Amino acid sequence: MKTSYLLPHKYKTLGWALFVLGLIIGGVVVFGGYDFDILKVNVISIYDEGGFLGGDRGFFNIIKNSILDELAALTIILGGLLVGFTKEKVEDEFIYKLRNDSLVWAIIFNYVVLAIAIIFVYDYSFFHILVFNMFTPLLFFVFRFNFLKFKSSSDEE
Amino acid sequence: MKNRIKVERAEHDMTQADLANEIGVSRQSINAIEKGKFVPSAVLALKIARLFKKPVEDIFSLEDQD
Repeated sequence: MKTSYLLPHKYKTLGWALFVLGLIIGGVVVFGGYDFDILKVNVISIYDEGGFLGGDRGFFNIIKNSILDELAALTIILGGLLVGFTKEKVEDEFIYKLRNDSLVWAIIFNYVVLAIAIIFVYDYSFFHILVFNMFTPLLFFVFRFNFLKFKSSSDEE
Repeated sequence: MKNRIKVERAEHDMTQADLANEIGVSRQSINAIEKGKFVPSAVLALKIARLFKKPVEDIFSLEDQD
């Protein structure tokens, strides 16, 4: 089965490592209240409205920012993409179908959950929903894909 | 679409893994095809038929709802 967008299987382990690491750091950032002093460096802010971090309004400002949350987010995204879009050991049409079905399922499930959250979650708690929602499509996809793969291999005759 | 892969496998004394290796697919695929959860492509059906040295129609057949 030839697919143009899948990376070689060897990157899968790296993907899992980054994905898990990113989720752990992400959890620390979320439960720590997003307020950290470590890794504070100068970054370029393309647009800053001012707002609750107290920055100056304007374009292309250099600001000081702890990049722990940025690193966590990028690690989750890179790891998740690697896990989801590297070839399996044996890549065939059934695995391809499982991957596509999982993607469709993940998108629908994600937005159903988001819709429910929009109706029932308000204020600062909804901010958490927005943060989680940056990663849940990937998370649901990876989980669903591996669950289906496990389910279809676990029951021989 | 139903198939006789399980029977053919038994006659040739092959496990799902053996068959999967022979035609270069994952064992999950064979499992899903045998259970009727996945309809293989024409290419895969032809490969399976060729391995068992039988016409495709002897192994795969249509059902009423197809």
